[in-house]
Amino acid sequence: MKIIRSLTLALLPLILAACGPKAPSFAGGPTTPTSNEEKKLNLYCWSEYIPQSVIDDFSKETGIKVSVENFSSNEEMVTKLLAGGGKYDLIQPSEYTVEALIRENQLLPINPAILSNLANISSEFRSMPYDVGNKFSVPYMAGFVGICINTQKVKNPVRGFSDVFTPEHKGRIVVLDDAREITSWAFAAEKLGINDVTPENLEKVKPLLKKWLPLVKVYDSDSPKTSLKNGDVDLGVVWSGEAALLYRDDKKFAFVLPAEGSHLFVDNLAIPRSAVHPQNAHLFINYILRPEVSRKISEAFPYYNPNSAARALLSSEEISNPASYPPAQEITRMQTFRDLGKQAAAIDELVTQVKAGGK
Amino acid sequence: MAADADSLRTGLPPSGHQASWRSWLLLAPLLLWLGMFVLLPTALLVATSFSRRDDMGRVIYSFTLDNYQRCFDPTWLSIFGSSILYALLATLICVVVGYPAAYTIGRASPRNRRLLLTLVMIPFWTSFLIRTYAWISILSEEGLANGFLLSAHIVPAPIGMMYTPFAIVLGLVYNYLPFMILPIYTSVEKLDNSLIEAAYDLGAGPLRAFSSVIIPLTRPGIAAGALLVFVPAIAMYAITTLMGGGSNPTIGEVIQNQFTRARNQPFGAALGVLLMLLFLVSFILMGRKKNTAHAT
Repeated sequence: MKIIRSLTLALLPLILAACGPKAPSFAGGPTTPTSNEEKKLNLYCWSEYIPQSVIDDFSKETGIKVSVENFSSNEEMVTKLLAGGGKYDLIQPSEYTVEALIRENQLLPINPAILSNLANISSEFRSMPYDVGNKFSVPYMAGFVGICINTQKVKNPVRGFSDVFTPEHKGRIVVLDDAREITSWAFAAEKLGINDVTPENLEKVKPLLKKWLPLVKVYDSDSPKTSLKNGDVDLGVVWSGEAALLYRDDKKFAFVLPAEGSHLFVDNLAIPRSAVHPQNAHLFINYILRPEVSRKISEAFPYYNPNSAARALLSSEEISNPASYPPAQEITRMQTFRDLGKQAAAIDELVTQVKAGGK
Repeated sequence: MAADADSLRTGLPPSGHQASWRSWLLLAPLLLWLGMFVLLPTALLVATSFSRRDDMGRVIYSFTLDNYQRCFDPTWLSIFGSSILYALLATLICVVVGYPAAYTIGRASPRNRRLLLTLVMIPFWTSFLIRTYAWISILSEEGLANGFLLSAHIVPAPIGMMYTPFAIVLGLVYNYLPFMILPIYTSVEKLDNSLIEAAYDLGAGPLRAFSSVIIPLTRPGIAAGALLVFVPAIAMYAITTLMGGGSNPTIGEVIQNQFTRARNQPFGAALGVLLMLLFLVSFILMGRKKNTAHAT
């Protein structure tokens, strides 16, 4: 194990050099980048996020065989990445995790010379606070967390979290199985900044979580739409893209941005330092950045597409889906998660404990 | 594997002197297997359980008892308790449902026996996850079961079956039933007919013959089946997460969460070690029961 690791460390400069703008393999010009690595790519991405057809088309075009592994939370991904359990070439961290991974020196710098399609990303996503100028990460999809309601079952108006977590909805609620998310809702309800996570503030939201979580029937980050669609729950706090899918297929589902405030999340493609096929990873990112490919992703998973060239290709129905593209002023109001350092563990602990004891 | 086991049985000389290098050689693959996939991971687990972690969830090897101390918090103890309850319930239902099935298969004609055994094995041809997803579409409120009950006017409104303890136990019973049927079948098959006839000759009715002759003779099968169901059922997390929805967490789910979302491998390891000790105790108890059964 150690030998392998030190070998990769010794080879790192070489790998880095290979990605450099002067690398001979890219002499063909930035529009047709190629890779001289073996034709393999190990992709570690969120479940239900990259359509299989996109991956297949990429393989067909480049001959690169893509092995996909899925995670359902940033924390899970980081744990596995740092444990060295697998050799991943491309990961899909959210904004706050990108920040942490950069701080921990776990990401390989992106080589913009290879990414000829990077300009398709709209300017506001090129200067996000967690990675200004996309030095280490390229936005894949953005979104928010909001409330999805089955209007045939829920008759009372639901405007915010405080309307969701009421005793009359006991056992009819689905929420994301994500400690950071859940805590941030309670922070918003208590009018605390979503990034002001201190032991005192956690103590302050604990009573609210103790009131909320026993009302929840299902915790699901992978596919929260399933229990809504099957009628096992009537409303929930879910990823915007999941709500958009429900709305697209059945107009009985409504999407509401919580009155207490929502936050913008940006999921990115990034290359870990331990990547064995960083060139192939660049090729994959560049492929994803193509307008027509990104458009296909939006079709399957209608999140907020940061690729403005792809957004121009969307149908008016897709653009008018309230869960995909809410009013612009709402989005500018939203904050993003920042890395919490030490407090991240405290959040996990708090939610796990309340969840387990809160039956 | 079977060949290995045979050669092990015949290759071990009773005296232990002659050809000992040969028996070691034959044992080597097994020892290597045990070392690499049982001893080493267990040692790693125990070492991790005494360690700390950093902010990113990396394990820092050290010596602390904090993780074990935390295990005895009422929160986790109650989850241990409910997991044991689910597993016990699943085991019990498996015995009640599995025994008649195994008995029927064991007493059937050789041709039917093969057919029935195949039927028991067929579910294994598909991944248990896919079969569990099938259950979700059967049990959900707009699913098959409720659709039938509603259209037959048996219930006025759909019953919430998914994401309940009922769904968890059902998922466990469904997945582990073959593990109960097969060992019981093996002991039923070996059942000596003359012993049952003797019971009847001595005036026992069918009930008496069953309870004092057939059950004791097939007890090893029941015990093996119970262990095969109970032990994995406690630690199972995939079925319980999918069917239970995470609001009735089991110890398997909590441990899995520590290794993934909660970034607390040492605590997860400590819970894992405790779970292992629990298995050890149940094995010892099982062994003791067998001994007392032999003594009487």
